[in-house]
Amino acid sequence: MTKRVLEMTVNGEERSLAVASYRSLLDVLREEGGLTGTKKGCDVGDCGACTVIMDGKPVNACLVLAVEAQGAEITTVEGLQSSPDDLHPLQEAMMEHGASQCGFCTPGILIMAKCLLDRNPHPTDEEIRFGLSGNICRCTGYTKIFDAIRTAGKRMAAASTGDGTKAPDFSKAEA
Amino acid sequence: MTKQDFRIVGKSVKRADVIEKVTGEGKYTGDYHMPGMLYGKIKRAEIAHAKITRIDVSRALAYPGVKAVLTHRDVPRVLHYGSPHPRSASCTKDQYILDDRVRFWGEGVAAVAAISEEVADEALDLIDVEHEPLPGVYDIDTAQAPDAPQLHDVGPGGNLVIPPVRIERGDVERGFAEADLILEGEFEGGRPVPTYMEPNVCVADWDGSNKLTFWTSTQTSFMVRGALAEVLGLPLNKVRVLVDHMGGGFGAKQDLFQHEFLCALLAKQCRRPVKMEFTRRETFIAGRSRHPFRMWLKQGFRKDGTLVARDMKIIFESGAYGSHSPGVTNVGTASATSLYRCENVRLDGRAVYTNTPISGAYRGYGVVQTYYALDIQMDEAAERLGIDPVEMRLKNAVREGDIAPSGHPIVGCGLEACISHGADAFDWAGKRNNPNRSDPRNPAIRKGWGIGCEMHGSSAYPGIKEQGNATVKMNEDGSVTLLTGAAGLGTGAHTALAQIVAEELGVTFESVSVVHGDTDVVPWDIGAFASHTTYLVGSAAKIAAAELRERVLARAAELLQESAENLGLVDGIITVRGNPGQSITLVEAMGPTRGVPSEHLIASGSYTPTKSYSFAAHFVEVAVDTETGIIECRKVMPVHDVGKVIHPIAAQGQIEGGIQQGIGHTLTEDYVIDRTNGRSLNAGLVDYKMPLSMDMPDIETIILEAAPDPGGPWGAKGVGEDPIIAIGPAICNAVHDAIGVRFHHYPITPEDVLKGLKARREQP
Repeated sequence: MTKRVLEMTVNGEERSLAVASYRSLLDVLREEGGLTGTKKGCDVGDCGACTVIMDGKPVNACLVLAVEAQGAEITTVEGLQSSPDDLHPLQEAMMEHGASQCGFCTPGILIMAKCLLDRNPHPTDEEIRFGLSGNICRCTGYTKIFDAIRTAGKRMAAASTGDGTKAPDFSKAEA
Repeated sequence: MTKQDFRIVGKSVKRADVIEKVTGEGKYTGDYHMPGMLYGKIKRAEIAHAKITRIDVSRALAYPGVKAVLTHRDVPRVLHYGSPHPRSASCTKDQYILDDRVRFWGEGVAAVAAISEEVADEALDLIDVEHEPLPGVYDIDTAQAPDAPQLHDVGPGGNLVIPPVRIERGDVERGFAEADLILEGEFEGGRPVPTYMEPNVCVADWDGSNKLTFWTSTQTSFMVRGALAEVLGLPLNKVRVLVDHMGGGFGAKQDLFQHEFLCALLAKQCRRPVKMEFTRRETFIAGRSRHPFRMWLKQGFRKDGTLVARDMKIIFESGAYGSHSPGVTNVGTASATSLYRCENVRLDGRAVYTNTPISGAYRGYGVVQTYYALDIQMDEAAERLGIDPVEMRLKNAVREGDIAPSGHPIVGCGLEACISHGADAFDWAGKRNNPNRSDPRNPAIRKGWGIGCEMHGSSAYPGIKEQGNATVKMNEDGSVTLLTGAAGLGTGAHTALAQIVAEELGVTFESVSVVHGDTDVVPWDIGAFASHTTYLVGSAAKIAAAELRERVLARAAELLQESAENLGLVDGIITVRGNPGQSITLVEAMGPTRGVPSEHLIASGSYTPTKSYSFAAHFVEVAVDTETGIIECRKVMPVHDVGKVIHPIAAQGQIEGGIQQGIGHTLTEDYVIDRTNGRSLNAGLVDYKMPLSMDMPDIETIILEAAPDPGGPWGAKGVGEDPIIAIGPAICNAVHDAIGVRFHHYPITPEDVLKGLKARREQP
């Protein structure tokens, strides 16, 4: 099987990977790329567990051929946090609200929620529901996921107001 | 139970395992990759019942990259359990790893190991299988016909998995003679599947000493170890089963699956690690579903609503193998002795083989089916007798001291509390008496409100006499390690166990870490199922922590020259009673001091309970579109009694997730098998429709610590399975309230609603 050398930026790091042309972006990220945070729940684009950001847009990595990602910028769940000790507000909120049970859908939900909040910092409840309509969670009934996204959204919006005020402390909320 | 102030129990502490889930660092079985690893795939039958007459693997073996092919000729022929709970009522030996006979469409007939998944997949098409078709039975009626083709040589015959389960109490005929109202009806349910997000996956690796290391996504690692060792002819210490994170199970990952044996055998033959991962399609075809069922129910009531007689026959469809059918039949049948008290009961439960995919364990294990019917008929009786459904349930609800399905008197019974509390909080009377049922924006939409109730045992007693185990170690710096065999399938059970240890021992939550998922290291465990981990393993952990506390204090007593009874231990600080100034930290107590070396302190706890029961009442609002037939579940108020709550947010999460699955069962989820040939018709996440983010109602969860059971830690009882049970009948009853049509089955589809409305309009 002939392989092609693929260049892409994954979580800010330039990667050069030799891949067979039939391989999906999901398989390449997980195997050749060693980034197993992105999950394979169906491999046919139904479940959203493999959602990653490709050039600013959420995609099901199982439906993208890796060769289509030539030159692309990819963000996976491993790239959400700015440093090992500094989690993304969505990651913090998911933990606090109990929004992750088995956790298999969590990477895809985090990525999709990040895209949602980046595009729309003040989503309504309906917009949050619609934003996650391609992500299957079978454990939580979604209630706690909605809570987490609302909390993270408020914190991110407060942090970006630029008036220097500290983000409100929601850590005691709903405890 | 004395009132106690808790430091850690009852607080929603941050789950220690979740940080790995949100960062993507947590390792699930499918994330493991080993040098030289091969990929296994299973060739699946495209016929539901047949004798294999010829199987030719030569073309597959010759295909570049293929390393091994196994058929029934190459694997040990050992009849084994599908559900490997030892010596329990929940098992039946009726499976071979591979057989020369096919019993359901999609059953594995051969396995391939190759250098990539793609090569393995391609090789499957090069295996030539010839069959002699056998007549099949694709529904429970055909299977029970006198001249029906038989699936198995083992078992009682007549395609029964086990002899019928019969339970009789009191005098049913006398009860019916005393009744003012007798209701009789047939109930049916489809084939919901658990649809855990992580497809089944395992990795097998053998070392030079002929020891198998086996990573697998399972709720029951010790059962996997036992069945693998038995079938492969190995001692238990030559099989090491590992599972770290797992992506859900909901009961179904309790079986020992065909691919798990085959993965181990392929790895052995190739002398290389082999990974086998289900496709999503395979999780339907080769996974496990809830048992489809049919039930006949006749009950007698007095004018005042009192239940006086119950006569029930239930038939569970087992599919091609027994798996959990014995357990489901026993539990499902026995559950009908309770929930609504009745002195005169006659129950008959059966499980029947058909040439369809295997039904197994799934959250709510036999009880979902039985209570669906009980609670709908309770509503019908209330309507006929002109009694409010809530009053009707309060009149008949089981009470403390009543005999539970387990055969023991119920100790902590919170059912009445759940019903009463929920009726007030939901404004039941106000809603039900509201004459305005139409949606002002769309008069075709009619609203309705309904109630359903449930009870569910923690632990599988008396079917399995279980034992919970825990080992707790105090390290020389005062940190604590808890070793448990309980699986972490996503519920937060390990966090609850760590909370229990920290509370009992007197240390901070953060100082306890949990080691799990390695059968070579952790104490034996029967598995995470039957809503029992917090109750059973939690009690064992509490026992172990209490013993360790004594030993720690004995060591500190020597250092402080005090008697141990005079010492207290809170948040890792040892204090002398009556002398607050004198205290030492655990580090000081445990670490070396001049002339006194560190000491390794360890304590184990074992706990063998009977059973506690948890209770719930669910209140729902539905909106039924009378033009499209679509039922929308708009609001749910689940009111649960789970005894002492260890972690409120995790407990709520269990309830809300259970409701999601229960709504699915009732309205949209059904894995459909063609009843003419056994073929699977909707094995995928688009055609098998689950409630997702756009479909979920507002859920207002209420947890009452109404009736603790002294068998659990501080009175804690189970919560995992309860929420999936009451939601179904609550929806069905609410639909009746909305449109006056009574359904006796699930899922209730839009077509059913439109047909029901038409029939109602045409009624004379």
